[in-house]
Amino acid sequence: MAGSGNAHMRPDALLSARDLVVEFPAAGGRTVNAVSGVSLDLLEGETLGLVGESGCGKSTTGRAILQLPRPASGTVQLAGQELTELDEDAIREVRPRLQMIYQDPISSLNPRRRVRDIVAEPLFIALENVSRRTAMAVWQERIGELLQNLLRRAAAPLRIVGRLASVAFVLWILSETVEERAAEPWLGWTQVPAAIIGFPTLALLLLAGAIALLLGLTWVLLAVMLPFGLMSRQFGEVSSAVGLAGVVVTTGASAFMLWRTWSSFGGWAKWLNFGGLILLTAVLAAWLVLSVAKPERAGASGVATTLSAMVVLQVFYVAGLDGGIKLAVLVASAVVDALLFRWVLRRYRVNRDAERERAEPRVREVLEYVGINPDDAMDRRPWEFSGGQAQRLSIARALVSVPQVIICDEPVSSLDVSVQAQILNLLEDLKNLMGLTMVFIAHDLAVVKNVSDRVAVMYLGKLCEVSEPDAMFDQPAHPYTELLLAAIPQPDPEAELGSGRIGGELPSPMEPPSGCRFRTRCPHAAQRCTDEEPEMREISPGRFVACHTPLVGETAPVRVEMASASRSGS
Amino acid sequence: MSDASTPDLAGLDESPLLDIAELRTTFHTPVGPLVAVDGVEWSLRRGARMGVVGESGSGKSVMSRSIMRLLPKSRVTSTGTVTFDGIDMMSLGRRDLLEMWGPQLAMVFQDPLGSLNPVMKIGKQVGEGLRVHRDLSARAARSAALDLLEEVGIPEPHRRIDEYPHQLSGGMRQRIVIAIALACSPRLLIADEPTTALDVTVQAQILDLLEAQRAERNMSLVLITHDLGIVAGRTDEIIVMYAGRIVERAPTSTLFSDMRMPYTEALFRSVPKVTDDSHARLEIIGGQPPQMTDLQPGCKFAPRCKYAQDLCFAEEPALIEVPRAAPARSSITDSGDDGEPDPAAGVHLYRCFYPVGTPEAAEAFERNIASGRVSEAGVVINPT
Repeated sequence: MAGSGNAHMRPDALLSARDLVVEFPAAGGRTVNAVSGVSLDLLEGETLGLVGESGCGKSTTGRAILQLPRPASGTVQLAGQELTELDEDAIREVRPRLQMIYQDPISSLNPRRRVRDIVAEPLFIALENVSRRTAMAVWQERIGELLQNLLRRAAAPLRIVGRLASVAFVLWILSETVEERAAEPWLGWTQVPAAIIGFPTLALLLLAGAIALLLGLTWVLLAVMLPFGLMSRQFGEVSSAVGLAGVVVTTGASAFMLWRTWSSFGGWAKWLNFGGLILLTAVLAAWLVLSVAKPERAGASGVATTLSAMVVLQVFYVAGLDGGIKLAVLVASAVVDALLFRWVLRRYRVNRDAERERAEPRVREVLEYVGINPDDAMDRRPWEFSGGQAQRLSIARALVSVPQVIICDEPVSSLDVSVQAQILNLLEDLKNLMGLTMVFIAHDLAVVKNVSDRVAVMYLGKLCEVSEPDAMFDQPAHPYTELLLAAIPQPDPEAELGSGRIGGELPSPMEPPSGCRFRTRCPHAAQRCTDEEPEMREISPGRFVACHTPLVGETAPVRVEMASASRSGS
Repeated sequence: MSDASTPDLAGLDESPLLDIAELRTTFHTPVGPLVAVDGVEWSLRRGARMGVVGESGSGKSVMSRSIMRLLPKSRVTSTGTVTFDGIDMMSLGRRDLLEMWGPQLAMVFQDPLGSLNPVMKIGKQVGEGLRVHRDLSARAARSAALDLLEEVGIPEPHRRIDEYPHQLSGGMRQRIVIAIALACSPRLLIADEPTTALDVTVQAQILDLLEAQRAERNMSLVLITHDLGIVAGRTDEIIVMYAGRIVERAPTSTLFSDMRMPYTEALFRSVPKVTDDSHARLEIIGGQPPQMTDLQPGCKFAPRCKYAQDLCFAEEPALIEVPRAAPARSSITDSGDDGEPDPAAGVHLYRCFYPVGTPEAAEAFERNIASGRVSEAGVVINPT
């Protein structure tokens, strides 16, 4: 078996993978030949079952089709488009059309996200203009999500405090300044990310600042464009420019504040503030530069560091002030922090809400398709579901972007027997309803037979046999298929326990046998099987086998060069 | 069914090797007591093979651990009697149990890697039991271990004996675990899902090995699995468990030819079979297994059962016997080569008011379709 060749490939296939080779490096410079020249194709609406023992490369083949990872060689064409030559962005664009369902439903669903977001995820990628989705945008989304989760609870009380405090702050400044009339000038500064705080509050603060200035006070409103990166989702690709502006503004503002601090304070407070400012400036600048240069590295920790630096700085600053000013700055800090949190939350909530709103009807629809009540499930999290229901969610997620091909990798193996049947019937129903095209990878031959229109048997990185299932299971052509079938325990006490047994162990994929890879365990192996690798050939209409002496059909004709070689040898 | 009285000495060989009565195992969880095994009764003859079938959470593994007394005392209580060869297992202390484990009862678990010590050479692990129970010297234990490895079909035992578990494949590891279990020639081997983690080809090898060793040693075997196919050809009698209870018990051939419990039928029909045509519609069981901490009154399978009537939800049916008219006893004796078969071995018990195959069940099904509780295909439409 376990041969090569493309005789079973059809010209009008929706997906066709040719001569896939996947190799993994192993210790000692050796190579694991996981998949060695496997060709598969799928007609539209067809289910291809891929069976074999563990370690035969069936899952790796499925992933190679998805380019996870890319095969070492070979081609994968989806509706005429060559996938192996696409770059990362283009692949991402293709993925909504090529979905995957995994074995363990619970661990393949993010436990912290809600069902509505999990199921909608492929849709966002599908609906968005993918070429504009830079890596930057992807991590921004991650940070946003992280912050949103972390701050969700903290934000609500802070927001109320912030609103009240901002009003109180402004009123306080006004009353104080009106009374004292240009007493000692003081520095009322605060880190206000200008773009962050929404117009009403910004206007209020600007007004306060203006009045203060009019009254003869020095009141500096600093616009630290801290989370500029988070905004670039709106700005799209100008994020680098915004980033640069952020660096400039931050540096300038910091320099100004350094000067003011130096001249306003005395004693230890001067040094504390000075040090704190330098720290803040350094952290900010580093993070800004990093987020522009290497967006994927500047993750949530950057934001967290900056935020904590700001808090530290505020404490330093407050320590150096006296009386009412101390209070004022504290209040101001609370305002800013609350606003900052609120902004982060709102920015993402706005985006998410809009996306959710667009996606919701579709999500509800697929949830209903897979037999989950959307009203009940939308706002729950995956771990609140049983294994079978979670697998339904995985299926819903795979269906939501109306994929052309779904690759199911052992989708029912971890489920209880009674639940397994529910999922198999569901897949069958969905296939009839939506015309799904599927690759169904499983080790259970009975399951594969049940769902498949065509079955491919794999052994040690090669294909043995490709055929329509009823014919294959009635009368296996490849010796390996026969032994695999004989090993299945039948739920029938009268059935024979299976006479043939595969002896021995699966050979190492690092040193696969020469010729036919199954020959070391094949009861019919002959010298020819060692010398010559069998080619996939058609033994009867629609039945393909890679074996020199199949159990059905004729012996493979001896190839000319082999024949002459053996003649000269004898 | 079970005769829990102490065996008379004269007829010791005819008494069951293992006799379980009223076994109830309760886990004390933060959300309240969870009765994982509830009132289980059965017995096993010497040399006989018992299959235990059930889905996850049905209590089959907890039952086997209760028999072995492997559960921690702190949060679990087991009551009832487990009599092994006249010895009351429940009254044994730790020291006595150590004497029992190995020479009397042994167990093979699902995950071979988890049952082996990763930093101990295979030979040492196989020989350990022999050194403890038989007082063998290191040298004698090693040579005995070599023989055992050969018996369980490990190729190149001389090389493998000095290897560590991670150097072996899953199938080979399970063979090692079996070799360890067999080392002290136990009289009862409990195999808990011994092949679930293995490939179908390896599974067949391991099941063949278990059967060959069982026959050779005249050992009793309890084979626990979720797969009806595994127990079909390899056991004398089968217990089907659901929600911690035995819901059906019958000689293997009777169970498959004349199943009475709707759950057994549903389980059997929901499994795809290689002999079915491709795309054959599977009969599904709607809903999920019950929440064990929140069991409802009545038959535990009733919410998912296509025959269930009001009575089933109100009252839990008792485990009752099929009238003996049916010729159910033919196939049980083929492996029992010592003495008479246990009088209890041939019984067919089930726990249902509307047993499968009876006119009452057919009527109940019709009524359920008419009331809209069950679809034409026999699936409960809104299982709760």
